[in-house]
Amino acid sequence: MSTSADARPQNFDAYWQDTLAELGRLPAAPEVEEIPFRSTEFATAYGVRLTSIGPYRIFGYLSIPRGQGPFPVRYFLPRYGSVADLVPQGTSNGQRQRYVTFALCARGQRRSDQPYAASFPGQLTDCIDDPSSYIYRGIVADCCRGLEYLLTRPEVDPQRVAAIGADMALITAALCPRITHLVYTPVIFHRALERAAATQAYPLEELNDYLRQRPERRDQVLETLAYYDASHFAPMVGARTLLMAEAGSSPLGPSALEPLVQSIKSSTDVHESENSGYRDGAYSELWLSRELGVAEPSLPAHWR
Amino acid sequence: MTIQANPAEFVSSVKRPADIDAFWADVLAQTAQIPLQADVSYDPLRSSPQVDVYQVHYTSLDHVGIAGWYARPANHAGQLPGLLVVPGYSMEPLIPKNWAARGYAAFSVAPRGKLRSNGQFNPGYPGLLTHGIVDRNTYIYRGFYMDSCRGVDFLVSRDEVDADRLGVTGHSQGGGLSVVVAALRPEIKVATSGAPFLCGFMDAIELTDGYPYQEIADYLRLHPESLQQVTDTVAYFDGISLAPKVTCPIIVNIGLQDSTCPPETGYALFRAMGSEDKQLYDYDGFGHDANNAVHTGIIESFLAQHLEP
Repeated sequence: MSTSADARPQNFDAYWQDTLAELGRLPAAPEVEEIPFRSTEFATAYGVRLTSIGPYRIFGYLSIPRGQGPFPVRYFLPRYGSVADLVPQGTSNGQRQRYVTFALCARGQRRSDQPYAASFPGQLTDCIDDPSSYIYRGIVADCCRGLEYLLTRPEVDPQRVAAIGADMALITAALCPRITHLVYTPVIFHRALERAAATQAYPLEELNDYLRQRPERRDQVLETLAYYDASHFAPMVGARTLLMAEAGSSPLGPSALEPLVQSIKSSTDVHESENSGYRDGAYSELWLSRELGVAEPSLPAHWR
Repeated sequence: MTIQANPAEFVSSVKRPADIDAFWADVLAQTAQIPLQADVSYDPLRSSPQVDVYQVHYTSLDHVGIAGWYARPANHAGQLPGLLVVPGYSMEPLIPKNWAARGYAAFSVAPRGKLRSNGQFNPGYPGLLTHGIVDRNTYIYRGFYMDSCRGVDFLVSRDEVDADRLGVTGHSQGGGLSVVVAALRPEIKVATSGAPFLCGFMDAIELTDGYPYQEIADYLRLHPESLQQVTDTVAYFDGISLAPKVTCPIIVNIGLQDSTCPPETGYALFRAMGSEDKQLYDYDGFGHDANNAVHTGIIESFLAQHLEP
C-alpha cells in the first residue's frame, strides 16, 4: 500500500490498463442528435451520447464548423462542478467557426446525471477510500471514451487535437497518446491532501471534511489519490503542452510545479497566471491558435 | 460585435417599464403569502471546529422548495451580522465558511434550478436564461429573484442574526442578484456587486458572443418573431431597471476586458443606482474576474465597515 501521493503505486500502470481494457470491452454505441437551438450559421451543434464503463451513458456537446474540413479540435474536459458548457464561459462562441469543439459532461454532471447525480461538494470524495470504486476512475474513462468518439468523426484533423481543461485534461492526454496538444491548468490532483491542509476552500476542503469525519481512513485516501496525482501522469504526456500555473509562490505556481514540468515527456511551455482572466485567457488562446496553425485567434471582442 | 471605444460612455438601450414597481410589489406580496417553512439541519460533515454548517430548505414562490447553506462561527456571543451570498450562473452555491470564519451568519442560497433546488424545476444549463422569456409573468427569473430575496427572510428568522445588520454579496450572476436583492428588500443595509450579470440583457447580446448571454441570441435566432416580447420581458428583470431602487451603500467592481458581462453594462448599471453612497472600481487589464485577487480584500473591508462582525 502506498501512503503518499508522491509515491507511484506499484500497480499504477495495471490500474489504468485495466480501466482502459474495461472501457475497450464496451461498445461506445453513439447516439447523435442535432441541437438546432445551439446551431448557428457557421456551426452545427449536436448532442452525443456514449457508453462508458459501468456501463454508464454519458453526454457531450459537439460542434462542427460548416464548410470543408478537416478541422482542428478543442476537446474541453470536464472540470469540478455540475455544469459543462458548450464552449467555456468567457470564450468566444466564434471559435466554433474554426474548430470542432467537444465538451464532455462526465458522469454525475448535468446531462450525464442519470442515474448518478453528483453532489458539489461531494463528488471529490465519493468512494475515495477505494481506488477500484473511486468515482474519478469512471470519470477518466468517460474522458477517454469522448476522445475515442471524436477521432471517429471525419471532420476531425487527427494531427491537431487539443485537450483543454484541468486535471482531467492532463490525465486524458497521458492515457490517450492521440491527443496532440494540451492546455492544462492544475487544480485538484497534485499533492491534493498536502494542499488541502492549507485551505478551507472547496473542492479541496472536501478532503478535510471527509477526514475530519473519518480520520482512520487517511491512508486509504492517500492511496487512492496516488493513482490520480499529476506527477505520475506527466511522464506519459507526449502532447505539446501549455501549463497554466498559478501566480507567485502558490503550491501551483511555477516554482512549485517545476519538477512536474520537467517530468513531462514533451515540449512544455509554462504561463504564470497574471491573476487576470483576460490576460491568461488571451495568452492561452494565442498559444493554441499558433500551435494548431490557425491564422486568426478566436478572441472575444473585448480582448482584441 | 460592436464594442465601445470608451465603455464608460455607453448608453444602454434598457427602458425602465412604467409599472415595474407595481410588478415587483405584486410578486413580493405573492411570495410573502407563502409560509417560509424553513427547515434547518446541522451538517456535521461540512462543519469544522471553527464553523458550524447547516443545510437549509425553505419554500418560495410557486411553492418551489429552495436549498441553501448556512454557516456561522462555532463559538459566538451575542447577535451576528447576516450576510446573504448569491451565486453565479453555472456554479454551485458555495458553503460560506470563509464568511462565517470572519464573524458573519452567512447564508448561501441555491435558487431554483441549482443543484439541491432542482427537484421540482430543472431547465438545465444552458437553458435557464431563456426559460419562459416571452412573458414577464412566467420568466424563470421571477421566481429565481424571489428565491434569492427569501434568503433575507431566512436570515431575519434566526435569533442569532441582527436584522439591522444585513448585507448581500455576489459576483457575476451573484453580482446581478446583489443588485436585485438590494433593490427589492429594504432590510439590506449594504451590498457588493462584482462583474454584474443580468444587467443590460439586450445590450449584452450585441456586445459579446459569449455564453450565458449567447443563450438569448440563440433563442432569437430560432424565434426572431419574439424579439419585442423578449425585450419587453427582460426590461422588468434588468438590473439597470431595478438599480434606482438601490439606496444602501454599495460597491461595484468590473473588468474592462470582461467578455462575459461587458463593462459597458456595468457602467450603465452603476450610473442608474439610486444610492448616494456608491463606488465603482473599474479595472483595466482584467476580464470577468474583475481583479478579484485584489478586490476581495476591498469587499471584506467594506462589508466589515458597515456590518461590524
